[in-house]
Amino acid sequence: MKHSALQSSTFFFCTPLSHERIQWCTECIASGAGGTPDEKGMFTVFVTGDALFSFVDAQSRDAWNALSEVPAVQIIADGDELRLHGLCDSVAKGSPGITVTGRGGGTLFWKQLVSHLVEEWKGTKKGAFLLCHPPYMSRIPVHMLRFLSEAHAAGLSPELYAYLDGVHNIHNGQRPSEFENIGRTIATISMTAGERGKDPWFAACSRCATARGYFQMNPGTGYCEPASCIDEITIRPLKEILGRFSGYYPILSHTSVEIVATNRSRDTETPPRLVIFITNPPYGTEWTFGGLSLALATAMDGIPTTVIFIEHGVYSLYGTHEVPPNDKVFNVQEMVAATGDIPSLCYLVHAPSLERRGIAVEDHLSGIQEVQNTDLAGILWDQEFPATRILFF
Amino acid sequence: MDDDAVNDFTELTCTNLMIKLKILLNKLTPGETLAFVATREQVDNTCAPFSSNGYHVAWDQDAENRYLVRIGK
Repeated sequence: MKHSALQSSTFFFCTPLSHERIQWCTECIASGAGGTPDEKGMFTVFVTGDALFSFVDAQSRDAWNALSEVPAVQIIADGDELRLHGLCDSVAKGSPGITVTGRGGGTLFWKQLVSHLVEEWKGTKKGAFLLCHPPYMSRIPVHMLRFLSEAHAAGLSPELYAYLDGVHNIHNGQRPSEFENIGRTIATISMTAGERGKDPWFAACSRCATARGYFQMNPGTGYCEPASCIDEITIRPLKEILGRFSGYYPILSHTSVEIVATNRSRDTETPPRLVIFITNPPYGTEWTFGGLSLALATAMDGIPTTVIFIEHGVYSLYGTHEVPPNDKVFNVQEMVAATGDIPSLCYLVHAPSLERRGIAVEDHLSGIQEVQNTDLAGILWDQEFPATRILFF
Repeated sequence: MDDDAVNDFTELTCTNLMIKLKILLNKLTPGETLAFVATREQVDNTCAPFSSNGYHVAWDQDAENRYLVRIGK
């Protein structure tokens, strides 16, 4: 049954935004936001880090500028990061519809983001970050720290879920000569929050930690134990970490969206729906396997989960994959085919991504429904769900 | 798949073991048995539930927290 509900949607981007992503994202947002804020609710887009370059990129700036003119859309750029990247003047001149946060020592943008999320997720006591990137090679752990610090400052209990290469952040003894010490700052946030009576919950996925040597078998006991880890992060099974996903609070990631119904009484009993975008080719990195594993685990826990193959992610459904006998990777196509009967799980594929690459879904996977951008907008802003989290892998 | 081809799945998460079993069991012909080594948690959470889906599931303890599991159609 459909309900008529105003929804507040918050987009967070901090990784490079391809022209392709800008195109489908802005088309979806424009389709979802095609009306006044009173009719459609607000769409707020927070942009920081490498995603800021898309404001000056000739291939994407027009799409941003057009989107910024939609009445229900507000785009907020991290002013401190714009200045760091030398983009502030060009964005201010070339994109007058984009709001640039002031000078704030790296905090104003994050204060505004946290305050917005607190308003959106009314009554929330927590703010969480799903971290999939390693420290120092990536600046995303710095964004994670800024977010969790501001969440803590706003009176929320901070939560951190380290997944895939994000588990490298748990290594003890980090001593960077030039960069902010990620391990030490995680420990400080956890300790300070605990001292102030909050309930910090910092965890790393046991499968990812075991693979990377942070969770080693003790031959004496037959069980795994943490190795070279900071004490403030506990290694837990992914299922236990995903148990947190049934809670009513924002979970940010390197690219994520939160959609919350705002004109209904707060529904904290229904777990937020999860939408996973698989955007990478199937085997070159752990993104596809990591995204599918996470989606399957939440679906099996009863959380309504939709997996959408999009951008390079559509290659997972192209051709017939054959894993060589000595290769230990999961056959992604077999994973998809074997799990299509899970009731809480739905697989979709983005038709414009297939068309752009001139490919089609393999016959034996043709049961997976193709969606256009307008269909996607209808699925993402389906008013049946009181809250939706969208994560990109 | 015969009993002498015994995989060790003790390192897999319960979710990934479930996926692996669904894939392998789909390839099983009637009368064939899939044998593998699993932990107690995997036996309880992932293997045993297959018995409600028309499979015959049996296991024997092999060592501390290691079980030889057999699933057949």
